[in-house]
Amino acid sequence: MTSTMEGVIKSIQGLSSTSGDLSSLHRLLKGAEETLRSESDLQISTLDQLDASKHSLGYLYLLDALTCGPMSKEQAFDVVVLIARFIDSCDAEQIRLASDKFVSLCKRFKEKVLELRDSLRGVAPLLTAVRKVQVSTKRLTALHPDCLQLCLQAKCYKAGFSILSDDILEVDQPRDFYLYCYYGGMICIGQKKFQKALELLYNVVTAPMHSVNAIALEAYKKYILVTLIYSGHFSISLPKCASTPAQRSFKTWCIPYTEVGNCFNEGKIRELEAVVVANSSDFEKDNNLGLVKQAVSSLYKRNILRLTQKYLTLSLQDIANMVQLANAKEAEMHVLQMIQDGQIHALINQKDGMVRFLEDPEQYKTSEMIEVMDSVIQRTIKLSKNLIAMDESLSCDPLYLGKVGRERQRYDFGDDFDTVPQKFSM
Amino acid sequence: MAPSSSSGLTFKLHPLVIVNISDHYTRVKTQFNPPPSLCATENASNNGEAMLQPNPRVYGCVIGVQRGRTVEIFNSFELLFDPSTDTLDRSFLEKKQELYKKVFPDFYVLGWYSTGSDAEESDMLIHKALMDINESPVYVLLNPAINHAQKDLPVTIYESELHVIDGIPQLIFAHTSYTIETVEAERISVDHVAHLKPSDGGSAATQLAAHLTGIHSAIKMLNSRIRVLHQYLAAMDKGDIPCDNSLLRQVSSLLRRLPAMESERFQDNFLMEYNDKLLVTYLAMITNCTSTMNEMVDKFNTAYDRNSRRGGRTAFM
Repeated sequence: MTSTMEGVIKSIQGLSSTSGDLSSLHRLLKGAEETLRSESDLQISTLDQLDASKHSLGYLYLLDALTCGPMSKEQAFDVVVLIARFIDSCDAEQIRLASDKFVSLCKRFKEKVLELRDSLRGVAPLLTAVRKVQVSTKRLTALHPDCLQLCLQAKCYKAGFSILSDDILEVDQPRDFYLYCYYGGMICIGQKKFQKALELLYNVVTAPMHSVNAIALEAYKKYILVTLIYSGHFSISLPKCASTPAQRSFKTWCIPYTEVGNCFNEGKIRELEAVVVANSSDFEKDNNLGLVKQAVSSLYKRNILRLTQKYLTLSLQDIANMVQLANAKEAEMHVLQMIQDGQIHALINQKDGMVRFLEDPEQYKTSEMIEVMDSVIQRTIKLSKNLIAMDESLSCDPLYLGKVGRERQRYDFGDDFDTVPQKFSM
Repeated sequence: MAPSSSSGLTFKLHPLVIVNISDHYTRVKTQFNPPPSLCATENASNNGEAMLQPNPRVYGCVIGVQRGRTVEIFNSFELLFDPSTDTLDRSFLEKKQELYKKVFPDFYVLGWYSTGSDAEESDMLIHKALMDINESPVYVLLNPAINHAQKDLPVTIYESELHVIDGIPQLIFAHTSYTIETVEAERISVDHVAHLKPSDGGSAATQLAAHLTGIHSAIKMLNSRIRVLHQYLAAMDKGDIPCDNSLLRQVSSLLRRLPAMESERFQDNFLMEYNDKLLVTYLAMITNCTSTMNEMVDKFNTAYDRNSRRGGRTAFM
């Protein structure tokens, strides 16, 4: 039935110019979807008649029909290349008209790429796909977690981090949020940006949920370890805003981690290492052994940090003894590393092996500080605008108005106040 | 139309006169042309009484002191204009003059004022009528049209001169230059009038904004003046303008009085203060955000809280 095929192609070529035409084309394609799927004539070569950048909508539908069935490995490879080229050259406006089709196409793309074990190939196309589907940079789409997953598999953390640097303020589907935050946290850990990782993991752990969510559980385990690395302190209870199922059940599932946390709090290296060795099989099962080892090394850092709060000067040998390091040389290396990272401020006198701890020398007098402050203030201004908008939209919410009105009715101040209507006819 | 005068008199005008004239004009204009909200109710009843011409002319008398060659105009008062005879009401003028003489014995009638864009022929009649009180009265003209591009005051002072035109000696108006003279008290009131705001000027935010605007305009003016000097010196350096050593000496002494901005201590202090202000602004923004968030969370809890407070006491009573 090449006639329908030709007819569809002609209409795609003809109706892809203005927005009015595009909406009629969209309706036509939606109607023709079933016939397209069963079309046996549809080959990759038929797509050559169309230009991906001008006829993106039609191209998308044909691609979708092509790839919906099972296919062999060579075909998968060709399809992957084709989809990658399409994503690069397609027109964002046309794509957004059929965004869920595009999203499902990209998900299929991701699966094929994972099957071929060639995740690196899929990173760049998915990055461009995310940018094209996003209506604005503040919106989370369904493609974000897929893109991050590919970045994790391919170990190119920097590419994933570029997506994470946008502040997300609106979410299409709350389900995407869990995976996005979880993968995002893992990428940040890979980049050693522990503060951002902590924020993202915290979001997952305290997200509202009716029953225990596996993603949140895994995230909680990583969250414990990252708090140990970053802030050096472990609290057994979840933050108050976490949902009740989470608060009840997380602890039972994460016993090895809480043991590590408690040991960390006491600050004894030997015991911590013993606990780690005892539970290493659990940690390996969760792929968290690397993180646990980082947590152990950060215990040294935490102990040295506590020393800066008690002493003004200390000899390297004393540091080694207090922190239970092997000798003064290792202590010097640790202190040097911490000074370079900016975690402490100190002066090492190599002649007599004394370390003098100093105050933060930041005087807030430089022009670089001005730029930092300026950017921070701008961010706060934007945040404030968003908050005010949310506040206003809540004030107009009929649920809220109904409840407020009901309370006010009880206190009747005579005829001065009009009572708020109980029901709003929409 | 009016050439400049050659009488050699110096005129000094006090701002009180200008404020009085403009106040008189504004009052008359609003009283005869009421604002549209009142007009709508009145228009039905007295339709015959159309509004006066859009720019009514007001008339009055200026008084002051003349010492030698200096004429100083201190005050003014309003006069009634008789449109039928095109003259000012004489008896009223004399009554007012007597009253003013009791309080200010030094002042006497120096001339008269009016509003408009240019002097007219009919004004000469009034001028001649006043000549028996003062042999050469002055005519102060205020142009009430608001012109934002114009930088000078829209006030002109005319003198009468005898010129021979076509063989007939005629009196014509010749405009003279004048300076503004202020007493301390007048300076305060003029400043106050200049900074009137439509809303209440008492809140701290508007006061701060007004203060900062004042500083900003002052600095802008200083900057433009220095720029002029800079251009002049550059031209002199290139050789376009002949070198004037005395002027150079004056410029150098002036520049030495300007504050030095290049020292390191200044940079330090300046940056530290700047950073402090930024930190305070940041703190204010965060507090603002926190309070908005608090309100929003309260609203959210009221709207979506599953365990509603049934019969519970709120903080209201």
